[in-house]
Amino acid sequence: MLIDFRPHARLRGPGQVDFTAAVTPVVTALAEAADAGYEDLGRVRVTCDWVQYKENFRDVVDVRPLLDYPATPGCADELPRPASPPAYRFEIAVDVRRSAEAALQELTAARLRDDSSGRVFLEDWGPGSQSCIWAFNTLYWTALAQWEKASGRGYEQALPGGESDARNRDAARELVTELFAIWDGLASAGALPEQLYVAELGVGNGSQAKVFLDEFRDQDAAHGQDYYRKLHYLMCDYSQHVLDLARETVARHAVHVSSVSLDATRPRTSLGFLRGRVFLLYVSNVYDNLPTDEVAQFGGQPYLVQARAYFPPAEAAELAASAAATPAELPALVHKLLRLGPDLLPDAAPGHIADTDAAVGFWRRAWSALRLAERYVPLTGLDLYRLASSLSGEMLRPMLESGGDIRMHVSNGALASFADSIDLLHPFGKLVCHDLFLTDVQGYRTAFRGPGKYDGSVVNWVNGPLLAHVGRRFGLDVHYEPFRHRNRSSIVTMTAQARD
Amino acid sequence: MATGPLLAQVPPLPTTVVGSYPVPDWMERLKSDYFRGRMSRGQLADLHEMAIKAALRDQELAGIDIVSDGELRRDNDIDYFLARLPGVQIANPAKDFYFDYYEAVLPRPLPEPDGAPLKLADDFAFAAAHTAAPIKFSFTGPFSLSRHLRGRAYPDDRELILAIARTLHAEASALADRGAGLLQIDEPFLAGHPDQVATAVEAINVVAKDVDVTWALHVCYGNRYARPLWEGHYDFLFPAVLDAAVDQLVLEFARKGYEDLPVLARSGWDRDIGLGVIDVKSTEAETSGQVADRIRRALEFVPASRLVVNPDCGLRHVPGPVARAKLAAMVEGTAVVRQELDADGHQTAPFTPKRSRKETTQ
Repeated sequence: MLIDFRPHARLRGPGQVDFTAAVTPVVTALAEAADAGYEDLGRVRVTCDWVQYKENFRDVVDVRPLLDYPATPGCADELPRPASPPAYRFEIAVDVRRSAEAALQELTAARLRDDSSGRVFLEDWGPGSQSCIWAFNTLYWTALAQWEKASGRGYEQALPGGESDARNRDAARELVTELFAIWDGLASAGALPEQLYVAELGVGNGSQAKVFLDEFRDQDAAHGQDYYRKLHYLMCDYSQHVLDLARETVARHAVHVSSVSLDATRPRTSLGFLRGRVFLLYVSNVYDNLPTDEVAQFGGQPYLVQARAYFPPAEAAELAASAAATPAELPALVHKLLRLGPDLLPDAAPGHIADTDAAVGFWRRAWSALRLAERYVPLTGLDLYRLASSLSGEMLRPMLESGGDIRMHVSNGALASFADSIDLLHPFGKLVCHDLFLTDVQGYRTAFRGPGKYDGSVVNWVNGPLLAHVGRRFGLDVHYEPFRHRNRSSIVTMTAQARD
Repeated sequence: MATGPLLAQVPPLPTTVVGSYPVPDWMERLKSDYFRGRMSRGQLADLHEMAIKAALRDQELAGIDIVSDGELRRDNDIDYFLARLPGVQIANPAKDFYFDYYEAVLPRPLPEPDGAPLKLADDFAFAAAHTAAPIKFSFTGPFSLSRHLRGRAYPDDRELILAIARTLHAEASALADRGAGLLQIDEPFLAGHPDQVATAVEAINVVAKDVDVTWALHVCYGNRYARPLWEGHYDFLFPAVLDAAVDQLVLEFARKGYEDLPVLARSGWDRDIGLGVIDVKSTEAETSGQVADRIRRALEFVPASRLVVNPDCGLRHVPGPVARAKLAAMVEGTAVVRQELDADGHQTAPFTPKRSRKETTQ
């Protein structure tokens, strides 16, 4: 048996975790199960995390099976299988933040007996990025106004620290100064384009754009090169509601600004005409909110984490009752909500949802109750797994083989956005991104990195080492540093620009 | 060798490649493994030889008239040459990705060449032994190589560039001695230094001096990681490039558009043009119709007898299946235009160098 206690920093100091209380009941339950002949304790993995998100998709104890290789007896195409059996048959995952308040031994025993009856599943097994939690996430951004009305607070208040790091004037000043230096150089070589493009993905309420444009205009007045006249600022966001707000914010710069509704994972779809022409691509608090899979390497074998969204029995009963439905009717009702949004749901389900406010209430309760079951499926060749349409899973190899077991995010959405964005950059252009970046692969072995719930959206830490690895592969220098313009921020700034 | 006589037998509008050929994921992984110390040099050499044979076969199957070895031995367009130059020091020979550039330092002036230290002629001979098709052999030019050498061995850049040119001249002579008939000098960094064209041309002429082959000069806007390094127009080459002792200018058009064709027409360039008809920075394969249209457009400015058809640049960053589809489209599109030329009664004489080297290296 392997016990992987990841939040070991919490084993000392004030508020320290009681290791014995967190682990002993689990091991006792396992021993009893072994006595009953259920399990071979030598092939069990116990993973203890401190799940810092108060709203998340986990129960205090979860059991995750590790599947064997798919077998197709007698088939000539059967894949070669490793000579030795997988190191583990299943993993028990414990949230030690909540374990002290739970009857841990009983919970573990129940999970080992596979007490999934009564759960209401919303989907079949699939990679994490395909889970309906991302449809909830999309709904949040497309129906943000309704959510904010119901919650009584703007989405920025849900961010850590209560605001986006984007609106910092010192940061904007620094960016503008760097841009002017590049353009001065190009101008002296007669290579300055007529239009100077800056694009922002995930424009929020336009605060960053306004700060940047104000600063740009002021610096240009002092600099005297007439760059402001040539500037074209593209505000890009998934949410039309957000774009509308942002346009109001930057109304004074309107002639220099366009707004573009786009999917951040495929910026080239809308911005393809800017291929090789963007001098600054600014991305703030977007990557952590894009779909991601998780992969793991246990005992030398790579796995894909598959997920399946469900409502626990008690929550399902309560939610169903609130919508005059049975638990069995919930999946259809939820998928209608995700497909149509809260405005149209009352028309589509008149017997269950009275009006838009009721639909938003149903949405918020469903989101709160949502959980993810997980299992590990062997990856039979990293190249067969796509990180993004243009990126082979081979890119994962150095991290997966970095020594010891590991489970990590792939950050597929962030990678897709990053890879697509690279093509938009002018040869002297730069990508600047503020986000929750993990900067060291070891960070996956010491802390929980998501998914969690931020208000109505999903959050995961972004796999910075993987982005850097992909960036290097495509000739970029990728650099991380803590966001310098606000103290005690967990936000990291990534800059990427052509190396050669 | 069969290469010389065969060169004169290729049809009008001959099709060729610029140099590099796709490196599949698995090969990239193995090449990177070598630079991470996980694979021996012997195994890497074996891998390269198998890949080169496959690349030659791919080009033959596509119907390419003049093939290349795909530059598959090279980790990139610089290091394969710099790391072998006597006196160049590589502080850290390990790499994350095989394609990364070394930090190359030249602490003292290069020794005058004694033989051909880069052994490019051996590379050519290997390719020639495995194909009956005419071969184009390319190598990076002295100007671009100099851009990646650090150190203060020479009082100015020109002296460094000319010193590299003298070594490359020795390589070119050895290549010609082993039967190479078409040599191409690549200057991928020239577009970023338009004020340096005269120096680059001076060095090119040192390389080509008295080497009796057909010479091509390839200048593009960069293809590192399938992205351009610079933007601009080819007028920066003129008039300096008119003094280059080369028979052919191999240029990038498909990605940028054909607006620079009039530049060539009015510049006084009266030698061959290697016309880029395939965008190597796009993973979408062109159709034969698109290729034919691009050639037709060029024929408005350059006679068929002076046109060679090729991709914009090397195919290294294009996935293998896409590269094969692009080459097939290039061959088919060219064949369509050839038929039109026959019907219109244009000259259909075989492709031959337009003037001898000796006439232009005086």
